[in-house]
Amino acid sequence: MATLAGVFAASHMPPMVFHWERVDPARRDEVGAAYADWGRRVTASHPDVLVIVSPDHFVNFFLNNLPSVCIGVGEAHGAPPERWLKDLPYKTFPGHPAFAEHLLAEALDAGFEPSVSRQMTLDHGFVLPFFKAGVPRLPAIVPFVLNTVEPPYPSLPRCFAWGELIARAIASWPGAERIAVVATGGLSHSIGEPTMGEIDVEFDRVFLQRMSARDHAALIRFMDEAIDRAGNGAQETRNWLVARGAAGPGRFESLYYRAIPEWYTGVGLAEWRLGPAG
Amino acid sequence: MRDYWLNKLFYDLTTSSLGAAYKADRSAVLDGYALKPEVRKALLDDDLVAISRAGVNPYLLRYYFQLLGYSDETVMEKLHTALVPAAGQG
Repeated sequence: MATLAGVFAASHMPPMVFHWERVDPARRDEVGAAYADWGRRVTASHPDVLVIVSPDHFVNFFLNNLPSVCIGVGEAHGAPPERWLKDLPYKTFPGHPAFAEHLLAEALDAGFEPSVSRQMTLDHGFVLPFFKAGVPRLPAIVPFVLNTVEPPYPSLPRCFAWGELIARAIASWPGAERIAVVATGGLSHSIGEPTMGEIDVEFDRVFLQRMSARDHAALIRFMDEAIDRAGNGAQETRNWLVARGAAGPGRFESLYYRAIPEWYTGVGLAEWRLGPAG
Repeated sequence: MRDYWLNKLFYDLTTSSLGAAYKADRSAVLDGYALKPEVRKALLDDDLVAISRAGVNPYLLRYYFQLLGYSDETVMEKLHTALVPAAGQG
């Protein structure tokens, strides 16, 4: 039986790569150190497999065919095509078809109907946090694409239920792998909208606070009421909600938060404490 | 509401070599898309405010502006103008 190695979440804003210099050295060092610490925590969980929950930013899918949820079951994934990621240290992106197919089967058994991709290309959402955290090597990746870029979005209760499903699939997987769940994206940001550049710090504050509470129904109520006001990028907090579902009774720990206007993003990093068994 | 063909144009421009062709001759590329006349005009006139109001996914809109080489500052200024209904019509 596989082990849930860890559950993590991190923002994945592209300007952290191509506008790195715009942030003054003090804050740059701070956020860089926070990502490095986050990366050490991911590495210390010794994952053999990462289930990464992120949107596809129009690399695999477009408006003619846009899955709500898609699981990448391929043996290997394509490298991110973003030109500004040309210095990415990762050259290969192995998948884990056996576990991915198991996750798919568990989902279908439980009444979930994800789309399936046998050849997926990753984008920055799947790699940027690890890259900026200095994680030297990526283990096998099972991409879990959640549509958080174009309405209609998957419902909040369903996102949470997906997380629970992922955790059950890890628990029922007969292999000995350690499997971590990593949500990326968010927190508040607005990209390409009239409000671009605005960061809803209050949304982020309450979101992180509600994440910490045991009552996930209150978290969902808050998100349902507030998410549309926090910028289109804030829809990616649905990814965090998947992670919250996967973490079960794990205790949410906000490792870092700062609104960074130069990167147009409320930047958050988190880990769930899974207890001695994790 | 989304203008499908405008979104399709932006998607194609930013995920293929069509972007270079567009920068060389916008009109020729636009002939391949079933765009409304006012949308086509906004693209040819580089009317960023009108384009931003034409029903495009905001991520694709940003990719389009990046392709054309606009700075984020310019883009944000135009988008903020688009937020104010009475402004940007002159």
